[in-house]
Amino acid sequence: MIPEYLLRALLGGVMVSVLLGMLSPLITMKGLAFLTHATFHSLLFGAVLGMILGLIFGNLSLIMWVALIITIFVVILIALLENRGFSSDTAIGVTASFIAGSTVLAFGILYKVMANKPYFALSQSIISYLTGELFLITLNDLMFLVLGGALIFFLMLVFYRDFLYVSFDAEGLETYSGNAKLYLTLLYVIVGATGALIVRTVGLITLQVIAVLPGTIATMLSNDLRKILGISLGLTLSVQVLSIVLAYLTDIPPSGIATIMLGVVYGLLLLRR
Amino acid sequence: MGEKLIVAENLTVYYDNYKAVEDTTFKLDSGETLLLLGPNGAGKTSLLKTIAGLHQSYTGKLLVFEKPPAEVRDLISYVPQSYSLNERVPLKAIEVVAMGALYKKGLIHFNIPKALLKEAEEALEFVGLGDLKNKRFAELSGGQKQRVLLARALVSKPRLLLLDEPLSALDPSARVEVVSVLAKIKREMGLTMIITTHDPNPLTEIGDKIMLINKRLIAFGTPEEVLRDEIITEVYGPLSKAVKVGERMYCFIGDVHLYRR
Repeated sequence: MIPEYLLRALLGGVMVSVLLGMLSPLITMKGLAFLTHATFHSLLFGAVLGMILGLIFGNLSLIMWVALIITIFVVILIALLENRGFSSDTAIGVTASFIAGSTVLAFGILYKVMANKPYFALSQSIISYLTGELFLITLNDLMFLVLGGALIFFLMLVFYRDFLYVSFDAEGLETYSGNAKLYLTLLYVIVGATGALIVRTVGLITLQVIAVLPGTIATMLSNDLRKILGISLGLTLSVQVLSIVLAYLTDIPPSGIATIMLGVVYGLLLLRR
Repeated sequence: MGEKLIVAENLTVYYDNYKAVEDTTFKLDSGETLLLLGPNGAGKTSLLKTIAGLHQSYTGKLLVFEKPPAEVRDLISYVPQSYSLNERVPLKAIEVVAMGALYKKGLIHFNIPKALLKEAEEALEFVGLGDLKNKRFAELSGGQKQRVLLARALVSKPRLLLLDEPLSALDPSARVEVVSVLAKIKREMGLTMIITTHDPNPLTEIGDKIMLINKRLIAFGTPEEVLRDEIITEVYGPLSKAVKVGERMYCFIGDVHLYRR
């Protein structure tokens, strides 16, 4: 009999794999690794802000929602800056620096709030956000992951060709009457929302690696889009399931194992070259 | 000659507060091919993008089909330099071509309609690449890539074709391939074209007019009128020279960077 928490972890892992399997090749092809870094910063800022509000209002589920809202706001801001002519690196760098500074300030406020409020329940949230804890996700978390994931998956599927075209030649798309700015903004929102959705399962520390490496590995192995998507999905799914099983057996957080496994595969491919 | 397709009067193009092209006046008739000539940083691409409606920071008058360029974008195809494309995206040649007409309708483009795929195939046939439709864009040669981009431009059924350095970074045989397709477009479709170039020599056969710019208009007219020693030396220095061989003008522009130093 499989323990219920392990089943929830496996289901969560499958959902994360489906999302990242689809998104990671786009992140690699469009060169959005730096955007995942900005997503990391905004999720951390949102989570700290959520913790402050959660402690004040006695509702720690606010953490998830505040992190989601802040992250989507930040990626839209980055997209707007890019759409106004700033380079991607400049838009992300400036925004992420501002968010990083704000996070430090928010931590200062959080410590003050913690001095006056009981914060024992917060420790689990902090661990979940930093290292990811698939074994700690509740049924509500899973529902949020599955429903939100299904919506993001649907959007990705519907707009995938548009995302490919905007990655290939945004200016050309604009020339031929396409709304490149809208597609770019939507793609950024999907990256941000996916990060917010999976952060409690994969962890902030390893989020960037888990979001980037499957796509990078897949594009190293093939130059056919279908095969790239297949490899990315297969790899993410295998790594997620294997890391959950290994984590169950060894009591090590699965996100750490998944990251190391992806790193090993990437390293072996580099050596093979 | 036909209608005045482009009318520019005292046109100054800005990037922020910087003037990329200053106080330029010219007119281009329908069906004509204009070679836009000038050294690096002369403002050729800025002017081309402004005519394409992609860049809208300008003063003066600019009418394309008697309207501001942004209002007639459907009638204009802009062909960028092929190295500006992200070839990590593994699109097939036919998918790249279809992009030219796919966005005339709708917001979501999950599938490419069959009718459009057929048009894209025909456009690829026109540029001589019908048998490479399923090859990935990144795997094509430089000349083939440029021809795919031309097919993409044609599939959108434009009346004005703008090409940004279509011959740059191509070897001589690839240049011949691309120029022959441009000549075919001019001959069989009669499209109005503006082509930016560093080197006008491979294109003088199809160029009806030449515009020489270097931040401002230096000269505008037929190849015989513009490619004269006293004009080209003003931009390219004393080592440049214009030569007439048979009925065609050639231009030896030397190394402008060496001259400037």
